[in-house]
Amino acid sequence: MTQPGSDDEIGFGLVRTLGRQFNGALMELFLQRCFDGMFTGAIYASLALAIVMIFRSTGLLNFAQGEMGLMGGFVALTLMSPAGSSGIGIPIAGTALASTWIPFHPWPSWAAILAAVAFGALLGSVVERFIMRPLTGKSTLSQVNVTIGLLILINGIVFQVWGSFSRRVESPFPNGKDDFFGLFGARLRYTTVGVWATLIVVIILLNLLIQKTKTGLAFRAITSNREGAALVGVKVNRTQTIGWAIAAAIGALAASLVGGAITLNPLTMLNMLIYALAAATIGGLDSPKGAIAGGLIIGLTQSLAPPYLGIPTELTLLPPLAAMVLFLIVRPHGLFGTVPVNRV
Amino acid sequence: MSTTARNQQVAAVQDRPPSEAKKLTTRSRIGLAVLAIAVIIPPFVTTALELTKLSRLVVLVLAVLGVNLLTGYTGLISLGHGVFVGVGAFAMANLIDQGMSLYLAGILATLFTGAVGLVLGLPALRVRGLYLALVTFGTALAFPPFARRLGTLTGGVNGRTVDNEAFVAPSFLSLDDHVHIWRYGVCLAVVALWFVITRNLINSRMGRALRTVRDNEPAAATFGISVRYAKAGALAISAAMTGTAGVMQAILNPYVSHASFDSFLSLRLYAAAVIGGLGTLAGAIYGVLALILIPTINGAIELLDSDAIVFGAGLIIMTFVAPAGIAGLFEGWGRGKPDPS
Repeated sequence: MTQPGSDDEIGFGLVRTLGRQFNGALMELFLQRCFDGMFTGAIYASLALAIVMIFRSTGLLNFAQGEMGLMGGFVALTLMSPAGSSGIGIPIAGTALASTWIPFHPWPSWAAILAAVAFGALLGSVVERFIMRPLTGKSTLSQVNVTIGLLILINGIVFQVWGSFSRRVESPFPNGKDDFFGLFGARLRYTTVGVWATLIVVIILLNLLIQKTKTGLAFRAITSNREGAALVGVKVNRTQTIGWAIAAAIGALAASLVGGAITLNPLTMLNMLIYALAAATIGGLDSPKGAIAGGLIIGLTQSLAPPYLGIPTELTLLPPLAAMVLFLIVRPHGLFGTVPVNRV
Repeated sequence: MSTTARNQQVAAVQDRPPSEAKKLTTRSRIGLAVLAIAVIIPPFVTTALELTKLSRLVVLVLAVLGVNLLTGYTGLISLGHGVFVGVGAFAMANLIDQGMSLYLAGILATLFTGAVGLVLGLPALRVRGLYLALVTFGTALAFPPFARRLGTLTGGVNGRTVDNEAFVAPSFLSLDDHVHIWRYGVCLAVVALWFVITRNLINSRMGRALRTVRDNEPAAATFGISVRYAKAGALAISAAMTGTAGVMQAILNPYVSHASFDSFLSLRLYAAAVIGGLGTLAGAIYGVLALILIPTINGAIELLDSDAIVFGAGLIIMTFVAPAGIAGLFEGWGRGKPDPS
């Protein structure tokens, strides 16, 4: 005898839910959840892409990636918000200053986000030039120390300047109540389409850069053999700075775009970071393609696992984490990564 | 690795002094004397509230020592030790509920945290270096929401109180009006006990094994050290002593909540261990001094809203200026070469 609500009942929940998929309303719900997952998946994918860019060029996991993006997101917020106003009545730091010194402030959101991306690139190059480059060839420990130090430091700066309030970053895409495509009864929001379009443009640009330009050639040379590349005259340092700049710019873009669905506060990017790291690990830490696939997988898991597998919403951090550990143990190069060769 | 290089490595391992000197050096004696005086002062100059607050920070030295044992002596980067503080604290709260005496509950909670460390860590030990940092960091991020879901065990969203009425001085000491001083003393004694255990451990055969694993895993395996057992042992002991920090925090507070064990606690513990100095016992003490002094000074001069900036900048600057931490700055007088890490 199975009592309603008992463990047995919950255990069969999945089977019954799948059975009900043929029911029209549930199909719509399923599609809707997929679309929701695609939005966050795109954000994870772009952050994972940034992590992969740095891992490829330096063999380093940048734990500060999320926080560098966070700072960019707040720069975008400051540039697009009129002085002395905000959703919850507390003015956003820097808007008063910005309205005095920056022409045409407040900027439209697309311009503010472009500026934040430029700011991210600048931040990335400064960090690479003055903090990471002197550590080239040092132990893993000191590199972890510095990226963790950066994480704490940048988070502290953001907290100091902008406070702990949750802010809503205006999406550059129409984000009103009626801004969606109706697709089999589910709502595919313009923001989701916009974020994916942006991501695809970024990937195409990145691919063009890596495959068609001289900088890209240098980038590939460094990835395959750092010392060899330096010997034949590739400007390793400059290429690495460019790699960091691009990665940080993508991070800033990701943080500016979360505003479509999620509010930005000093802790937002910390959770994003672990999803992005999991996405990058699952896809393969040196594969941009893998980062996109990983991001999508994590995003969809996050929106589909709670309703269909009965995992509580707060625990959505666990499946990606478990998947990450599993991949690191069983398949460290991920889905699309290069199988490493150890020379003894 | 070429044969010559490996021979050099082996020679380096053999040349290392067998321990951090079994006998205390003059330098260590002076250091311990200064420390003894320093810990005696607070009960005379602080209020009860301040002393309890200080006790809570003092026990964190065990967590920093735990990070140090794992990262400094064994070479396994841990960004998730805050989890073990949390496990120890929650275990203590629940064991007291079962009607156990404080001592028994404390010991069991410590052992339990050690076991949890082993269970959580065994898969993590399969990955190394950067990836271990990644996995432990992920665990630190996932712990608070997980603890929030455990309902009555952890008090859920609001946290829960801990019954610490039994945590008072024995009646013959007649310290009834100064219970905070007794508690402070117990904290110091527990910390001292773990320091003696750790010192003996790192001077033992196992301690040498850990350092060999850290410096060169293949060489360690060549010597017949079971790399896996060495790592697992270090992890269990490190988790256990970090759990003790949680146990003490739980009965000092007396309140435990998932929010106290967020990922920034783990990062802070790691930063303190690095700033203090990895691979030396004194490093843990310097690290906790930093944990105590930075927020205190920051609070006194009201410069920054959060001391995170100081910790982050400190971690970066120390990596450049003094990779061996504050302890490394004091090396070179009174003793030989610093223990490289």
